[in-house]
Amino acid sequence: MQQNDKALLSRLKEQNVEFVIIGGVCGVLHGASLVTLDLDICCRFNLENLRRIEAAVKDLHPRHRLTANKLPLELTDELCDSLENIYLNTDLGILDCLGEVAGIGDYEQVLQRSIPHDLSYGEFRILNLDALIAAKCAAGRQKDLDAVRLLQAIKEKRKQQKDLF
Amino acid sequence: MIDEATLAQMNGKYACPLDAGPAWRAAMEYGFDMSLIEDTLRLTPEQRLEQHQRALDLVLEVKEAGERDAAK
Repeated sequence: MQQNDKALLSRLKEQNVEFVIIGGVCGVLHGASLVTLDLDICCRFNLENLRRIEAAVKDLHPRHRLTANKLPLELTDELCDSLENIYLNTDLGILDCLGEVAGIGDYEQVLQRSIPHDLSYGEFRILNLDALIAAKCAAGRQKDLDAVRLLQAIKEKRKQQKDLF
Repeated sequence: MIDEATLAQMNGKYACPLDAGPAWRAAMEYGFDMSLIEDTLRLTPEQRLEQHQRALDLVLEVKEAGERDAAK
């Protein structure tokens, strides 16, 4: 098993998927020293965007990782209408695509609370720090609350050092 | 002659910055190694992601080794 977030992000970018990076990788980009085993994104759940996600991972043996038989990702128009989230296992690792984020809301609300972020392989949007803290608080698991402690410390440090990101 | 504070730091005691705020201190007291956060904040976000990838690769390697051992 491998998890290559850079390769997954590059593929999503190449297919012009509309998404915002959320979860642990977002925390890492903000400076938290966490190790996270998956890539979580919030994306627009319409037919066009879901087809783009499918195109981004189609040669990576994508499977619905939470289904009992690990069903392959085979989108139909009808299925796209019914899906609210897509939890995938791929040859490049886990990619969880969420239609909404607890504590924030749907994709539009997530987008409003995101910031652009330049990486060498493209510009990506990530949740802003306050929104990430709100999402982690809403998730409420111990690991999320632990992350909140770190993120709040980073937020405080940023206020002290204005040039810090 | 090494002073007591320096010796304590050599032995692993984190020197909390004097200007550290309550959230920073709370995270430290909770048990986070805030020196790691200080180091990470000096990196660019892309370097942070690369650092994370290296850590993740190691975690997965150890996990797989454990699974292989368990299967024997």
